[in-house]
Amino acid sequence: MNKILTTVLSLGVAASAALAADGAITAVKVANVKDATVWAKAKFSSITLYPQTAIEFNDKKANVLTENMKAKKANVAAVYDGKNIALRVKWTDKTKDVEQCMVSDVYTDGFAVQFAGATKKPQPLPYIGMGSIGRPVVVHLQKATAKVYEPNGNKDVGMQINRQQAGVFLEELAVFDAKVASLAKTDYERVFVGEGFRSLTEVKDGSIKSNGAMTHGPNGWAGTLTRALKDDYVNLNGTVPVSIAVWDGSTMGRNGLKNLSAWVAITLEGQKQDVGMVADLTTGSKGNATKGKAVVEANGCNGCHQMTASDAKTFMGPSLKNVGGYSSAAYLRESIVKPSAVVVPGYNRNAHRNMPWYNLEKGKRISTMSEYGHLSKEDVEDMVAYLLTFKAEVE
Amino acid sequence: MSKRQLAMVMDLNKCIGCQTCTVACKTQWTNRNGREYMYWNNVETYPGAGYPKNWMELGGGFDAAGDLQPGVIPNLEADYGVPWDYNYESLKTSNSDHNSFQPHMSPTWGPNWDEDEGAGAFPLDNYFFYLPRICNHCTNPGCLSACPRDAIFKRDEDGVVLVDLDRCQGYRYCIAGCPYKKIYFNPKISKSEKCILCFPRIEQGLPPACAQQCVGRIRFVGFLDDLDSQVHKLVNVYKVAIPLRSDYGTQPNVYYVPPTESPAKFDAQGRIIEGSTRLPIEELEKLFGKEVHGAIKTLKDEMKKRKETGASELMDILIAYQHADMFRLDNHYYQEVAKAQKRTPLAPADTRYIAGKFTKAGGHH
Repeated sequence: MNKILTTVLSLGVAASAALAADGAITAVKVANVKDATVWAKAKFSSITLYPQTAIEFNDKKANVLTENMKAKKANVAAVYDGKNIALRVKWTDKTKDVEQCMVSDVYTDGFAVQFAGATKKPQPLPYIGMGSIGRPVVVHLQKATAKVYEPNGNKDVGMQINRQQAGVFLEELAVFDAKVASLAKTDYERVFVGEGFRSLTEVKDGSIKSNGAMTHGPNGWAGTLTRALKDDYVNLNGTVPVSIAVWDGSTMGRNGLKNLSAWVAITLEGQKQDVGMVADLTTGSKGNATKGKAVVEANGCNGCHQMTASDAKTFMGPSLKNVGGYSSAAYLRESIVKPSAVVVPGYNRNAHRNMPWYNLEKGKRISTMSEYGHLSKEDVEDMVAYLLTFKAEVE
Repeated sequence: MSKRQLAMVMDLNKCIGCQTCTVACKTQWTNRNGREYMYWNNVETYPGAGYPKNWMELGGGFDAAGDLQPGVIPNLEADYGVPWDYNYESLKTSNSDHNSFQPHMSPTWGPNWDEDEGAGAFPLDNYFFYLPRICNHCTNPGCLSACPRDAIFKRDEDGVVLVDLDRCQGYRYCIAGCPYKKIYFNPKISKSEKCILCFPRIEQGLPPACAQQCVGRIRFVGFLDDLDSQVHKLVNVYKVAIPLRSDYGTQPNVYYVPPTESPAKFDAQGRIIEGSTRLPIEELEKLFGKEVHGAIKTLKDEMKKRKETGASELMDILIAYQHADMFRLDNHYYQEVAKAQKRTPLAPADTRYIAGKFTKAGGHH
């Protein structure tokens, strides 16, 4: 990454444009999104998914496997009809890791699509890491699964017996086993609502209708998600911001250990666009990254934030190593001027109790970072341009 | 930190390694539904590798600065051991003499795999002792601190540490974070599960199954702030019960009376070396810290006092005459707590365990 950075910085302002965010995705209107043939008509666009490194987790093996994680390209298309929207995400993954029955340290491939919850003002968008207070998100998660019997989900308690201690034998036991197998589930699909990392809560009352699926081919996975355009949580029209994440089981990916896109605009063909949002999400910053580097250094950002591998881990703030990959310019701007607008809750505060990222004041999270509103608009914009260069290479 | 804290004391001088506690726990909680490989309670031989294998070297816990340390998630086959079974059915139906009694796979590790594996040179100074282990229901739990979803909580009324099965999504950072490796992954439901200190029994005034069934009567259960509880006396008054590996920084709430009694060593001619003891004090110090010296001294002094005068409250407690004295639980207290929390006082169990402590109906939080 350092190499890229140097090149970028030597190119100055022109380079910022080269590092601009992904373009908008056009959702084609179709008669019925559930018709599998619609994907032939869909327009696929390439987006980049960056390793999520804001927080370091405490799994020693996984940390080694994901240390130099690269960004991934994904091909995404969307279609919609009057009621539903469907997304198809294709990404490369050489190994097929599906949910297994008797393992303790094996993880599963999967993907997720995040939608911004319906709020009075669509912008600023929720924090990319599962939303922020007052700016909720809905996250659809699909994991690759094999057939697994999951009694708790079915509440069929009578089947929760030890095979070896069952009151049935031989042929009867075989019949019993067959019955248990027939109850097995093949799907691992979850929908969550969240207002910030760690607040994610599963929606179990059926108030969100969706369907996810994954198929593995020679080049990797293709995942499809269909959901309603409108329900209690979202109201998708015109311009739909989404973020896409993929997990790789072979590098022990789960939760934060994933590749994540920035907010990407999907424009629903034939509907009125939110021009401002599309512009915000498809253009980077107009600032000068070289000047921004000087401002960042002068303000000592790396005293608390890890910015390059050589910076000390202080646990004082989120790592910024890939912040340019999954953050929008608007979010970075806001976070410099008003750090408490979005406080990444971090992992459990108790994990580093002498290094709080925030304090709780009247139930509100107040960032321990001081506000940098005193900086000139130009300086802030230059910092944003510099921070947007912090992203891993594409594999 | 919870308002009150339940604690258990285990007297290692009396543990005979019979595994009755292990079986009591297994039949009560872990013989089904993805938990087959788990041992919420196990008894291992020290100095063996233990269960899961080499758990003391797998990281987790906190450093002196209070920062959570990274850890490793054990492998089911290599570190826990697959719950293997034998070919009973084919033996029953086959008439062949060649059909021998075999496990269904070749296990390489399992609970109590290294039973009675000692250290030292036989017969000069070899030694081992049994170490029963359950979840320590720590005051500063590593598992809770590692969870990025707030899916682990410590009950205010008694300090029992529980997984909120509604919030848990099976990330397993908790397993890496627990230095005792006493929280397990259930692959069938893709969630973490652990010793619940038999809270449905506790709430009815009954001790945990492992403590109730213990034939050596080594386990005492009670609230640390209950001045009449034997747990309080052993931990706070006599200070003979000390936590295991308190250097991990989690402030565990299972306490151990360290093993004080071991045979004397032999010299090269096979003669007893007077005044020697086989249990190396450095090993006890590694497990229980410097406090072990004071505990051993108190225990020896009280034993002497008992021999000389016939009286010693500490010895009376450790003899464990009556279950009623060893277990000081109060179901009335739990009923009051349930009422105050607007839960059903006589519900079979704390419903927050399954339904989710932080989840309101409809999925909003």
